[in-house]
Amino acid sequence: MADFNIRSDSVNVEQIMEQIRARIREKRGVDYTEQQISELAAVKMEKFLDARGVRSDLLEEFRRMRPPIDPPVRPNYVFDDQTLFETHRAPIRWLRKLLLPVLKLFFNPSPLIQALHIQSQLNTMQAEAEAQQLARGPARDQLTFEVMHNLVLEATRMGIEVKNLKMRVESLSSRLEFNERRARVLESAVVYKATEPAAEPLAQPPAAVRREFENRSEARPTAELRPRPQPEIRTPPAPQAAPGGQPAAAEGPGQRSRRRRRRRGRRGGASAATVIGGALPDGTTPPASSGAHVSGDHPMDQADGSTAPSADESDSDVDSGGPEPDTQ
Amino acid sequence: MKLAIVVQRYGAAINGGAELHARYIAEHLARHADVEVLTTCATDYVTWRNELAAGVESVNGVSVRRFKVKHQRDPREFGKRSDRVFTERHSLADELDWLDAEGPTSPALIEYLAKHGESYDYCFFFSYRYYHAFHGTRAVPGRAILVPTAERDSAVGLHLFPPVFRGVRALMYNSHEERAMIHAVSGNQDVPGVIVGVGSDVPQNPQAGRFRQKHNIRGPFAIYVGRIDQNKGCPELFDFFQRYAKEPAGRLSLVLVGHSLLPVPEHPRIRHLGFLNDADKFDAMAAADLLIMPSYFESLSMVALEAWALGKPVLANAKCEVLRGQCIRSNAGLYYERYSEFAETLHAIEHNRWLSGSLGRNGRQYFQNNYDWRVIERKYLDMLAQLQARPATHAMEPLPGRADRRREDLAPADDVLERLPKAADQDRRRA
Repeated sequence: MADFNIRSDSVNVEQIMEQIRARIREKRGVDYTEQQISELAAVKMEKFLDARGVRSDLLEEFRRMRPPIDPPVRPNYVFDDQTLFETHRAPIRWLRKLLLPVLKLFFNPSPLIQALHIQSQLNTMQAEAEAQQLARGPARDQLTFEVMHNLVLEATRMGIEVKNLKMRVESLSSRLEFNERRARVLESAVVYKATEPAAEPLAQPPAAVRREFENRSEARPTAELRPRPQPEIRTPPAPQAAPGGQPAAAEGPGQRSRRRRRRRGRRGGASAATVIGGALPDGTTPPASSGAHVSGDHPMDQADGSTAPSADESDSDVDSGGPEPDTQ
Repeated sequence: MKLAIVVQRYGAAINGGAELHARYIAEHLARHADVEVLTTCATDYVTWRNELAAGVESVNGVSVRRFKVKHQRDPREFGKRSDRVFTERHSLADELDWLDAEGPTSPALIEYLAKHGESYDYCFFFSYRYYHAFHGTRAVPGRAILVPTAERDSAVGLHLFPPVFRGVRALMYNSHEERAMIHAVSGNQDVPGVIVGVGSDVPQNPQAGRFRQKHNIRGPFAIYVGRIDQNKGCPELFDFFQRYAKEPAGRLSLVLVGHSLLPVPEHPRIRHLGFLNDADKFDAMAAADLLIMPSYFESLSMVALEAWALGKPVLANAKCEVLRGQCIRSNAGLYYERYSEFAETLHAIEHNRWLSGSLGRNGRQYFQNNYDWRVIERKYLDMLAQLQARPATHAMEPLPGRADRRREDLAPADDVLERLPKAADQDRRRA
């Protein structure tokens, strides 16, 4: 991290940490701690969750809406086979017991006793179940609060994250845009530099060459239909080939392009004469293609006269759209 | 002069922070006085199971007297009691039960101290939070010197301990932050105390190349040395480091040294080497670009001091006041609180060689000025001389009666801890 601004020889950790934090703020925007997220969720979450209208005092509100309920005390009775005849007075109890057979002559009390006994048991069971449910209520509510709270917290966190990501996307798009602009400027600068050395007045290409170019460009794909820079149409001085086919040390602009064209011509096999109707008067290779190879004219390419042929060929294949006729 | 070192566990193979601290101090004070270590038969700090024989033995030339632990720790019971005293209103009896559940409960050790305490001029008690320190200081209050090794955790908020902090003859603190915290919790400013810490026997020429060759480690790396444990902040470290490893600029690997109680993530840039002996450990630290200390609770990080002694920068967890304070005081380490800071500080140390070198140099200087053994020994001896020259002016407050102990009027320890001021900044300004 070379961009730390530490001026003195002695390190001050607090100062460095301040710089690091400033850098983080600059790079990543605001960074929240867990506590800050909780605070945001508790206080300002409507900022992030406005669409749903979630209230910041949601949990309190929820609790208020469902106050704790005290389980009601429900009366019940005990009913067994002796209940109907029970009394605290012993003589009466004895008398009832004595007269029970007489009573049974009139109706049968047993089903009634049984039904009431079962009902009593059902009441007890129901009361117990309700009590259990009520006892579980606060725990369940607590769980609900917790789930809801966590959901709110997570939603807030996501909101913050989305916000940060949006900021990053914006930042990246602006960088991308800048880079694109920069690339365009550089491209135009490259083309401009390639044309710069041409101090001579532009020579008109021979009419046959122009015709050939127009005819061929109609048959080419769209990429090849770009207007080619004029300087390549001019006839530069003939290259002084070194013995053994090696190019001379000082090559002029356009010489390498011509060599490439020659090589392609050999591969393509067609004679330039058949295409353009004859060689140029000075006997040099005519600049048959007006398709100036942009990358071939790049200053870097010119400085490096020994660019690998294969690289050149692949470049030219892309740009010129295939082999071009050789003049030889 | 005869000194006793009273500590929960003791042995050449025991590498816990406070226990190692006690051993180093015992071995170094043995050059100046007759030192005997009083400890338990336990080696495992989770169960306190009796694993060593009771009686007297010699460890590295220091006499060690061991006592049986009465019962092992029941983790469930201890957890229940911890919840009670940390989070609910409770009584002093509850806290005493908590102390008993925590262990190592060794009444034999306390009994021995009560009977033979007078045969020692001074007794150094290590780790305030354990049974031996609480009851031991009460058994020999006039001779008790406490090395609290206190961290900012819930135990410091218990009501058992302030009378101990006020009642001992002196305290040997590990850091400014620890002293400020104990002052705040107990108001024991009038008790003699000095910030000492502990030294370390760092080799002069550790072999970084040997370590790299032995473990086939190439490239720059950060190292973590210590128990790989939840309490040490390792899960957070793993999380942060894996996120850092995804960033294109970060080239560091992470090397972990120590026993693991957690699963270590499978990651091509995380290497776990397990426990290493001291020579290998120092070689590893010398080979590392920096040491990372992710722990939330430390009273003094010996590993950080060792890294500084070797001229390595430290990246510490800022949530630990002590580590943060040490980084600031030494100007030898950076600290992080969240991932963004972790990544940026790591990048800073990794890419800025000048910064890394300066932090390392400062660390070496800080270690020499404060934690060289000559400095540590001198501080201990000066304190003993000071205590001999001055009679005790305060006594240990007795425990309340039975009825008072049962009164449930004590605030939860967590609440007490919450109210404690974070004194690092004030103390730093004062320093």
